[in-house]
Amino acid sequence: MKKWAELALGVVTSMGGFLEVGSIATGVQGGASFGFQLGWALLLGTICLAILMEATGRLAAVSGRSYADLLREHMGIRFFIVPLVAVLIPSFLVLVSEIGGVAIALQMATGIAFRWWAIPIALVGWFLLWRGTFSIVEQGTAMLGLVSLVFLVAVFKMHPEWSAIGAGLVPSRPDNDKAKYWYLAVSILGASISPYLYLFYSAGALEDGWTIKYLNVNRITAGVGNLFGGGLALMVLVGSAIVFMPRNIQVDAYEQISLVLATPLGRGGFVLFLVTLFITCFGATVEITLANAYLLAQGFGWPWSENMKPAKDARFATTYTVVILLACIPIALGADPLKLTNISMVISAASLPVTVIPLLVLMNDERVMTTHSNGWLGNIALGSIAILAVALFVLAAPLYHLGGG
Amino acid sequence: MKDGLDLRHDVQDAQLVDRNSENIGRCDALMLELRDGKPPRVATIVIGGAARNERIGRWMTGLARLFHGRGDGSDGVSRVPFSAMKTVGDTIQLDVRRGELPSEHVEQWLAEHFVCRIPGAQGKKERRK
Repeated sequence: MKKWAELALGVVTSMGGFLEVGSIATGVQGGASFGFQLGWALLLGTICLAILMEATGRLAAVSGRSYADLLREHMGIRFFIVPLVAVLIPSFLVLVSEIGGVAIALQMATGIAFRWWAIPIALVGWFLLWRGTFSIVEQGTAMLGLVSLVFLVAVFKMHPEWSAIGAGLVPSRPDNDKAKYWYLAVSILGASISPYLYLFYSAGALEDGWTIKYLNVNRITAGVGNLFGGGLALMVLVGSAIVFMPRNIQVDAYEQISLVLATPLGRGGFVLFLVTLFITCFGATVEITLANAYLLAQGFGWPWSENMKPAKDARFATTYTVVILLACIPIALGADPLKLTNISMVISAASLPVTVIPLLVLMNDERVMTTHSNGWLGNIALGSIAILAVALFVLAAPLYHLGGG
Repeated sequence: MKDGLDLRHDVQDAQLVDRNSENIGRCDALMLELRDGKPPRVATIVIGGAARNERIGRWMTGLARLFHGRGDGSDGVSRVPFSAMKTVGDTIQLDVRRGELPSEHVEQWLAEHFVCRIPGAQGKKERRK
């Protein structure tokens, strides 16, 4: 019985925590410009994320160590510094965007300009980290994040052609606007496969005390949970396609996105959009802040745990305090949240190789994985993601230049 | 299983813990002692930013100098004799106390002057479930 509860909790956590500023923004822009046609990018991104999370979760459950910890130990400091910087920069930008998402939700609810909300949001997020435990931070926000199921309700109410949605899951070439199409594909992939997600996940496995007995919980959480989450993100894209595409509306501000829910559900839909944007972005805000602190603490061997009193892991607690306060500054200065989100997703996509390729190495190291190292199927899967990651690294900047900026 | 200790794989960059199993950083460098008329031997485990920066490369030491001024390279660096090594496993346990290490001064300073001045720093957090 307890096992079932744990499985259900894992699925809910991945699903409720899936949507955030990046998946909402890129999904809506993709749907508005190309209908259901970019569904494949979301499916591909979700599958990649599920595979990466399963791997880092297995790594943590088998070795009792986090991915960042092993990355430093096995690759050495000279290499570690590269993924460290390559993860910190995009995750910081994504963090700023998440704070922007929360701030926009509050602006739409109150009429007070979003920049004034940046500091209060950072303080509330910080307070949650300072006082809360890991399960409050992770599961609490994910449970509330289930409000994002409203996108599924909205899409059902608009009676889409399900076969057309299915057809979008198969990659196809665009008829026009090629650069924009591929740029949006890259940003959807970047939003789905953020490095902070699997770094956070492997640290979380240790916070929750996972051992080798949790390999099944890991598989279900990473696999089923993410597929459900990806399904929700697909509903965002589909809803946007139905609402915006026939009206030929290009989405260039978060305010417009509320129409995806307000069109089928009216005033209630508008309110639920604000609640969804607020909760999902807030949940991501605290998780990314923690992910940055985990990465530094584990890489440099400091004491760390969200379950410890801040006095017991001072460098860790100081790090998340500084990170969340720094991240609210650009929004407080009035940076455009949507533009910031778009560029963050592209940089995030470009940063993938340095965390994906070493993972492939570690998953095959029997000193770490004992008898649970990757089989041929796992290696083909991770290897393909590594190739995709290199392609994204090469293509991200040119495509952003041609199709986005 | 191999015999002996592979310094590069098993010691360099490994997570170090003190007598009470608290994290005290990583093995940032290993130093050999050169002795007259005898073969050199591994003498110290070095923990701390300066040792780490040197391994990363010149650009990193340069960068660190920009931020810290002209340090003599000894600030915040712990040199623990190799003989203090108690066990080698996933982590390496050293027979030292966290409070004695110069490389842990930052942690203590932050705890005292920053973290503990904020209400709730010592407050209750539940153990993992």
